[in-house]
Amino acid sequence: METADKALLERKVRKAFQVLVLQRGRNPGVKGWELKRHLGRDYKQIVEVLSEDVSPLGMEVFEVKGPDGTDDTSRFLLRFKEPPSVSEAETSGIRIDDLAVLASTIAFVNSKQGRAARREVEHFLRDKFPKWRVEYSLDRYVKRGYLEQDDRALLHIGWRTRAEVDEKTLMTMILSRGSKEVTPP
Amino acid sequence: MDNDKLEDLLRIIALCESIESSSANPFEIDIKEKLLILKHRLPELTLIGELLVDSEAMLELSQVIKLQDQYLKAKASSLYIDPLLIQLKVKLLAKQELSEAFVKSWHPIVQLDQISPRGLERAFVYWRDLQPMAERFKDEFGSYGVNPGTVGYAELVELGTFTRQQFEKDLKELYQTLMQKSNGNWIDYREFIDANSFAAKVLRAYLLAFLVSDGQASIRTEPLSGRVWVMALTEKAAGVPKSVALAVTEGA
Repeated sequence: METADKALLERKVRKAFQVLVLQRGRNPGVKGWELKRHLGRDYKQIVEVLSEDVSPLGMEVFEVKGPDGTDDTSRFLLRFKEPPSVSEAETSGIRIDDLAVLASTIAFVNSKQGRAARREVEHFLRDKFPKWRVEYSLDRYVKRGYLEQDDRALLHIGWRTRAEVDEKTLMTMILSRGSKEVTPP
Repeated sequence: MDNDKLEDLLRIIALCESIESSSANPFEIDIKEKLLILKHRLPELTLIGELLVDSEAMLELSQVIKLQDQYLKAKASSLYIDPLLIQLKVKLLAKQELSEAFVKSWHPIVQLDQISPRGLERAFVYWRDLQPMAERFKDEFGSYGVNPGTVGYAELVELGTFTRQQFEKDLKELYQTLMQKSNGNWIDYREFIDANSFAAKVLRAYLLAFLVSDGQASIRTEPLSGRVWVMALTEKAAGVPKSVALAVTEGA
């Protein structure tokens, strides 16, 4: 690669990093069309180079597909490549009960083909968690984008869960717990 | 409009809506049969209103077909697991195990939070448009009545909420309950004050505040998680008590 081309690529990769890391709207991440505007038509290659560059730091660029499945509507995010340890998660101030509510809800909604009535989810969770925690946690996770609630009060898996959670691993972990330990793929 | 003609159509719409608003299996609706009903009824429909109901029924059926498509895709994916199996597993697993399963499949997003001109503008507009407290709930509660304040023990006795003897008896009972439940350990404050009714919950919180002020119980708060802990003390606490405001809300 020529020096000028290399310099241009490095500049675009730096720009991609800045665009991905700086908060723009209410939600983290950048849509494909926005990256195209900042980096040009070959933005996906630049994002791939950036993903390799941040890999030694334990990060990766992750793509969450949009509703129509095109690159332009996809949301690109910078995220941890490997999950944090349980103690790291605990020291970040996250409550075990809250995570347990979220894990149970995601598993339940997925088992219901990706949608479940909120009333049904609340009823399911109340066997294990106090009523006030169930309502409070569900509201919070809807607000944060881990869950989505439509106008018919049906809960769906939210964009943030698609971005942050390896759902297959979660389901496998829940099913295998109590029988034998599995390591995430 | 002739209601008999529309009855079948309205029934189809109601059936589709019930499937759309629940997690029921969308294949419970026989689409082919419903389309034949619509086809059979169509020649009888002449008024614009009747035709609109017909098109609404078609729209609802197409929504159910979309749900059937999603249902098949979800079932074909490796994420599909029998809901009963999941319910059983979640019931059997400890909260710690569930949270560990989540953490091990979690890749948190890396992001920088900063004040942006847009955020500052939004904050400014919010504060500029925020009504004073006195005005805020005027529509719901009117401008009459008394502002929120504190009610003392003497006032509650005067109001006849309880007598002095009853209060002391209740206080003693609550202390015994707390002593049994905490048994030298910290227990969740909100779980402890929880009761069948909101009034009973407020009364428990009120009595507990007396125990704490009297040094018979102690309260610990965790500002990061928002959790509040309480513990009965076998010996009265010495030192200067600190005041903590705790909100008691309905349901939470």
